[in-house]
Amino acid sequence: MSDFSAPSREQQFLLRHVAGLHELPIALDADLVDAIVEGAADIAENAFAPLDRVGDTVKPRWADGRVTMPPGFCDAYAAYVEGGWGSLAGDTAYGGQGLPFSLMMVANENLFAASLGFSICFSLTTGAIEALEAHGSDAQKRTWLPRLMTGEWSGTMNLTEPQAGSDVGALRTVATPADDGLYRIRGQKIFISFGEHDLTGNIVHLVLARTPDSAAGTRGISLFLVPKYRLDAEGRPTIDNDVRCVSIEHKLGLNGSPTCVMAYGDRGECYGELIGEEHGGMRAMFTMINNARLNVANQGVGVAERARQKAAAFARDRVQSARADGSSGGKPVAIVGHPDVRRMLMRMNALTQGARALLYYAAGQVDRANAGAPEARARLELMTPLAKSFCTDVACEVSSLAIQVHGGIGFIEETGVAQHYRDARILPIYEGTNGIQAADLVGRKLARDGGAELSRLIGEIRGEAGDEATLIALCGEVERVAAWMLAADVNDRLAGSQPFQTMVSVLVAGWLMARQLRVARIGAEEGDVFVGAKISAARFFLDCLVSEALGLAASATMGAAPLYALDEDMLLF
Amino acid sequence: MKTLVWVEHDGKAVKDATLAVVTAAAKLGEVHLLVAGSGVDGVAKEAAAIAGVGKVHVADNAAFGHNLPENIAPLVAELMASHDAFLAPATTTGKNIAPRVAALLDVMQISEILSVEGPKTFTRPIYAGNAIATVESSDAKLVLTVRGTAFEKAATSGGSGTVEAVSAGGDAGISSFVGAEIAKSERPELTSAKIIVSGGRALGSSEKYEEVIVPLADKLGAALGASRAAVDAGYVPNDYQVGQTGKIVAPQVYFAIGISGAIQHLAGMKDSKTIVAINKDEDAPIFQVADFGLVADLFNAVPELTQRLGD
Amino acid sequence: MKILVPVKRVLDYNVKPRVKADGTGVDLANVKMSMNPFDEIGVEEAIRLKEKGVATEIVAVSVGPAKAQETLRTALAMGADRAILVQTDDAVEPLAIAKILKGIADAEQPGLVILGKQAIDDDNNQTGQMLAALTGWAQGTFASAVNVEGDSVNVTREVDGGLETVKLKLPAIVTTDLRLNEPRYASLPNIMKAKSKPLDTKTPTDYGVDTAPRVKVVKVSEPAARSAGMKVADVDELVAKLKAMGVHS
Repeated sequence: MSDFSAPSREQQFLLRHVAGLHELPIALDADLVDAIVEGAADIAENAFAPLDRVGDTVKPRWADGRVTMPPGFCDAYAAYVEGGWGSLAGDTAYGGQGLPFSLMMVANENLFAASLGFSICFSLTTGAIEALEAHGSDAQKRTWLPRLMTGEWSGTMNLTEPQAGSDVGALRTVATPADDGLYRIRGQKIFISFGEHDLTGNIVHLVLARTPDSAAGTRGISLFLVPKYRLDAEGRPTIDNDVRCVSIEHKLGLNGSPTCVMAYGDRGECYGELIGEEHGGMRAMFTMINNARLNVANQGVGVAERARQKAAAFARDRVQSARADGSSGGKPVAIVGHPDVRRMLMRMNALTQGARALLYYAAGQVDRANAGAPEARARLELMTPLAKSFCTDVACEVSSLAIQVHGGIGFIEETGVAQHYRDARILPIYEGTNGIQAADLVGRKLARDGGAELSRLIGEIRGEAGDEATLIALCGEVERVAAWMLAADVNDRLAGSQPFQTMVSVLVAGWLMARQLRVARIGAEEGDVFVGAKISAARFFLDCLVSEALGLAASATMGAAPLYALDEDMLLF
Repeated sequence: MKTLVWVEHDGKAVKDATLAVVTAAAKLGEVHLLVAGSGVDGVAKEAAAIAGVGKVHVADNAAFGHNLPENIAPLVAELMASHDAFLAPATTTGKNIAPRVAALLDVMQISEILSVEGPKTFTRPIYAGNAIATVESSDAKLVLTVRGTAFEKAATSGGSGTVEAVSAGGDAGISSFVGAEIAKSERPELTSAKIIVSGGRALGSSEKYEEVIVPLADKLGAALGASRAAVDAGYVPNDYQVGQTGKIVAPQVYFAIGISGAIQHLAGMKDSKTIVAINKDEDAPIFQVADFGLVADLFNAVPELTQRLGD
Repeated sequence: MKILVPVKRVLDYNVKPRVKADGTGVDLANVKMSMNPFDEIGVEEAIRLKEKGVATEIVAVSVGPAKAQETLRTALAMGADRAILVQTDDAVEPLAIAKILKGIADAEQPGLVILGKQAIDDDNNQTGQMLAALTGWAQGTFASAVNVEGDSVNVTREVDGGLETVKLKLPAIVTTDLRLNEPRYASLPNIMKAKSKPLDTKTPTDYGVDTAPRVKVVKVSEPAARSAGMKVADVDELVAKLKAMGVHS
């Protein structure tokens, strides 16, 4: 029996009112969308959710350069492949279903919620598909895309090296031209999620490397496709490509995902294909990274949803202490009856829904941009750091609150709620730390157009804000802080970038929650619990969370001076 | 009211399941029995001795040998011309036959009754026992299946029913019996078992688990379970674990042996229909949920229980 | 051969039923509804028979409210070819369902009808047997294996204490038990294809069936709460209690 129930109704509601799926050129009728959302729920709840705990406790095992996944993973993976879920948003020319990106976000959210550690495997493959679609040659697409889309093969992203983390330009893996237009690859990569596993017949690694005599820094980097097995004349993956998993990491969480140290070309027999232009690696990688950031945001929403459900179920079952107002006649009640537990549960609801709304809005922009709307591209670029940072911060806060609701037993691993907290903790870090996102926001995204896109956004929000006073007030504060940022020196700007990022995120989420509040009743049946739940969460978000964000303006405009008031030695004192 | 009770038998003897049905039927009125089968004189005699039985209809015909409903339902339907209610035990045989009879009579059957509340009013479980419905039939005749555990068993002696041969019915010619396979003594799955015997850390070792817990489970055809403490201590493999993070189970009977009853264990088995707890510590929380609690040293009590259940 | 597969929309298997405070039933407002799991096994079995070349067409049928369309779409997404919704907002009893199915069987002339052995809401376990009576066909209930051979089908049944195999002349009725198969998940391409598969809507009167209930639900209540901790004095008393419940070797 599964303890996870996918939020299908909420997803269907958001696809319509926030992502605007029905406005896309692809004509999908509502029944079909509902059926796909529910189909995605079914496999997540029943095939994946039971494996979450297995992944955390049994964990992938490494031996002799190969990784064996925990029991049950291969079967669930096969069900996913057979179900065609991997190809949902893929190009129809290569076997994809050509459905909208926002619909894929729904399917993935459920998988992430069901088993985060397992399901990030799919995000990585999606990233590889997107990079190939955008930058691969026709021949490369024909060779690699169809089986990546079905999920018969999986993909990875290889950026990080021991000396090159957030600073990708420091990487040293080399690619030397060899015969047949191939490149001989040599180097070591770390933190490679699903770099090695036994779920698929081949693994397609996308590897950033340097060609000989290339420029230093990011300008000299190229992207290579390096398979675990090269293909023989019949197109079968039979030729060992000298790619080895040296070890897997021991981590705080996300234990279902093997995080690999990968060695390429130890024997000098590892070959890769150049993807796109030589020295065009960073551009190609950004194709992967941008949508990958939304995928990580989605992971945050998924894990928040799972933790929230566990806490709410526990609070209804756990009987402890009488009501403070005497209304239970001195008898202990389920803790859901206590005001502070209520506050936590409401906060978790509002945060999770707000994060999901922000993400689905961004996903809707991906679909609009893909359909050729240039203004959607600009909006998406502004939304990407917001979604990545806010959804992952929310995952940490909500999973932490979920433990708090459990009390002491929540700190004990056996309840399973602690796992979500541990799993969530990587999300603000990988795929560009939330600090990097904030720098991206106040640097590139804000500065490059002098804040024009943000102003357009605020204009839209004001136009829809009605008499939501806190939301209108936050519009003004964000505007004021943005103007300050644009005038500020780079250190001052970066010093306040995180609180500013939260302010803008809460503003956008608040706007979307206010919109949902307005439309929640439309077409709903009498006594529909969804409507009541939506309205209460939206109200909580607008009244409490938007108000809190107003208070962040001070730290956003504090400047760098107070941060440097102590010299480095004194910080350790 | 004249009732007709389906006698479940194996060709040699009346099965126990019949006796509870007799008790239920007696609450409605006069109890007649139907013994159908091939070469069932002995069964009929035994049936006639059941306390409270009026008449025993015996349909002895090779066509009735394997309880094929295609052959038996028309026979019952014919006998129902002179009876007001047909009752069968809620066994796989009863469940197979009774609805076919009901449809032939154009009657809506009431399945698995738990009690008789009036001449046409009964209680029955719905939603896997998560709710109990009180229902009232408006049909002229009744067709009921009876949950055996809900009624006392009628005494097997003291009755003086008259045995009467029935010549009705025959082979409908659309079905035949091919073969049967008695259940292998394979241990049932934890999540689908009717009975589970679980051991806790108080056992002290995997050897003691084997020595104390396994024989009781063998005797009852039960699945084996364990608390997390016993799993962590290495007495049994991981997949034995019952609890919030292990298997969630809801068998008919759950034996918690040497398990104190931590909240996480209770979460995994609290929906069991009947919980039996054996523990030395009389304050163990498991006793707060146990239907039957025995405060005793498990190393003495369990082997004794195992032996006595076989008596 | 055509296979008819009746499916019912019920409270989802994972949802814990809550009895309504007014005792009129179980609360079904705002809870997840899904296909009855035993019916899902029936759909799966029909699809496997089609994949084996035994069946040529699978027709899914549901009797219920407009929303039962979703359940039929699920059956279509799993692999059924077309669907019939017999639409009614009344709670229809197994006997009336069987009569409606008889009407559909007369019209469709299936070789097999595969039903779930029971629905997990009312737990009646009647419809298949009743349909068999009304059609005069043979029945293989609680099936754990179904093998069609020529003009007959061998059904292995899960009976108390073991398994039994019966040979039934076709057309026949089969009801499924849990171990018959493990149903597949609906695939995305099939979910999309299901949209364009035909779904006919009928009413009970189309089959001349009166769905007025024969059995009145007087009330629905919670089962008796677990009585906390009756202690037995010794093994003897425990054995007596267990034997009274029918627990023995």
